[in-house]
Amino acid sequence: MFYIYLWPDPLGSWPVPVRLLALIPVAVAISLALSAAVEAVALPLFLDTTGTILATALAGPAVGVSVGVLTSAVNTLRNPTFWPFVVIQIIVALYAGLAARAGLFRSLRTAVPAGLGLGVIASVTSTPISYFVFGCTTTGGIALTTALGRALGLSPLGACFFGSFVSDFGDKAVTFALVASVLHALPRRTAARFPLALRAIGAA
Amino acid sequence: MRTRHPFTLLTLAAALPTLAWLLPAPAGALGTAAVAFGLAAAAGVRRVLIPVVTAAPFWLFLFVLHDLPTTLAIGLRITTMVASFVWLAAVLAPDRLVEAMVVRGWSVTVAYLFAATLSAVPLFRARARRIVEAQRCRGLSPRGSVANRLRALRALAMPLLLSALHEVDERALALETRGLRSGARRTPLAPPPDPALERAARWVVLLVCIAALVARLV
Amino acid sequence: MNPLALEGVEFHYPATETPALRDVSLAVAAGEIVALVGRVGAGASTLLLVAADLAPRITGGRLTGAVRRRARSGIVLPTPWTQLSGMAFTVWDEVAFGPANLGWPGREIARHVERALERLEIAALAERDPATLSGGEVQRVILAGILAMDPDVVLLDEPSTELDPAGARALWRLVRVLAGEGKAIVVATSDLDAVPDVADRVAWLEQGAVRALGTPDLLAEEATCAAGLGTTVARVWRAAGLDAPYPLTVADAVQRWR
Repeated sequence: MFYIYLWPDPLGSWPVPVRLLALIPVAVAISLALSAAVEAVALPLFLDTTGTILATALAGPAVGVSVGVLTSAVNTLRNPTFWPFVVIQIIVALYAGLAARAGLFRSLRTAVPAGLGLGVIASVTSTPISYFVFGCTTTGGIALTTALGRALGLSPLGACFFGSFVSDFGDKAVTFALVASVLHALPRRTAARFPLALRAIGAA
Repeated sequence: MRTRHPFTLLTLAAALPTLAWLLPAPAGALGTAAVAFGLAAAAGVRRVLIPVVTAAPFWLFLFVLHDLPTTLAIGLRITTMVASFVWLAAVLAPDRLVEAMVVRGWSVTVAYLFAATLSAVPLFRARARRIVEAQRCRGLSPRGSVANRLRALRALAMPLLLSALHEVDERALALETRGLRSGARRTPLAPPPDPALERAARWVVLLVCIAALVARLV
Repeated sequence: MNPLALEGVEFHYPATETPALRDVSLAVAAGEIVALVGRVGAGASTLLLVAADLAPRITGGRLTGAVRRRARSGIVLPTPWTQLSGMAFTVWDEVAFGPANLGWPGREIARHVERALERLEIAALAERDPATLSGGEVQRVILAGILAMDPDVVLLDEPSTELDPAGARALWRLVRVLAGEGKAIVVATSDLDAVPDVADRVAWLEQGAVRALGTPDLLAEEATCAAGLGTTVARVWRAAGLDAPYPLTVADAVQRWR
């Protein structure tokens, strides 16, 4: 809340192209709308970083961070306990930026391992937050696997990592695969309008 | 409460969970939780049920995984957070917040992103549901191997994502033609009143939080 | 000098080989209504985007030739839902979106918004949430939003698609009123039967080039009818094997019959 009072015009001096203004809210809405699809196929995924990763691959990590922060903010309106996990969204955006610059979205064969890598990083980062802020009780699924970990003799922190690892791993791999598919399916003339898109699929 | 300036409401809703975390547990957390519940109740008695219901699973898991003092401390903190946000969602009107931002001279960018995101989310959720319904009519069901389900997921997600990106193009054109320029000065349409007393109150709350932070670190 | 003039314009969308517009020249005078007709993909929408200074600025791509614009233009795109600002929670605010962005003083905004709401006959909807409106209502709200910005050149891309017949008639009446006030209007439409009563000139676009440019009588000629772009009356006359010249409107046909 501090900067709101000290700098009343946070982004005014940086002109944002209107295409990015149009992209960001849509990307946030995508992340939150995919939960309907996930429920319909009954898979234990979240896909709540899809918009963040897609926006990053199209327009760079700065845009991705905005999408991630806004996605967390909207999630927070529905369930306030999600706010501390905005850190994860930011890390996802930064990682996706590197992956896009390296052209890792050029095929599923490169995208899925990149996603798995992000899954490891995401669960390593979310564990301390989950543990210290919530005592590792964030979602039912994670809490259950954490309890399983405890039963197996892991320390509380280790059990917490075990719990979030299991879900984050698959979730990020699927998200990366989905984003790669979408980027390839875009007509060239649409993709060409976004600065990073062609490089992300290795076509530039 | 609804007639208070949006920034006041925001400050209060952010301060309560912050204080819950900074003040010594469990007394501090209990105090802030009580305040938060009081506010939520003032906004409508039914609203008190929502934080209770949302926080209940947390209490359960905390009880299973941790000892009593930790359970109490973390549980109360979580409950405070949930209650203050439920209250905020009840009393904060998005259009008043947008206008407050515009009056304060905040860039159009921030105001637009905030407002457009809030209106885009229900729109795309509805679209996703329609796609799911359409596929259900074609025999989509949550059965089968993981590979099949992943394929089905792709069939659901791709139309949503592609149509969304196409729409980004159209939206950009529409926004441009209607003069939305990042960094431009926009005329406020219905600025909410901001009496000096409220402004002072916001600063007081802020200072209290800073004091609590300092006290905690020292 | 004309409010809008395109001279020898050629336009390519990004990463495409075939041009979307080829050697297009069109000048529109103040108070004139020009209708663009053609098959889907013929380039009418692209022409409007170029005229509105949105192509290549926002769409990307490259443009050769000259586009001369003396005044401010406003464009209404074909899909109404995507044009809602997302920043307005009432119809009034939605229509005021454009003027507010231009930084006009509050009273002037109110004046323009009230006038636009009246003209589009949606004053009763002023307090409604735009997300709850029907397609036709949204289209009228969007048009009101553009008119509230008081453009001198009005560009309309398929403005009557979501409207019922009565709404469409009201729209074309409004278009004539706007032209009477001195605005230059370019309309891309597939509602060919309305064109003779509305347009001063018609441009037939085919594959990005202007194949013919003339009065609405163009829509009763052999070539346009053969391409499926004649008025209904003309096409029926032709299909029935009756002699050219084909009548343009019902009134013409009745006269010929007698």
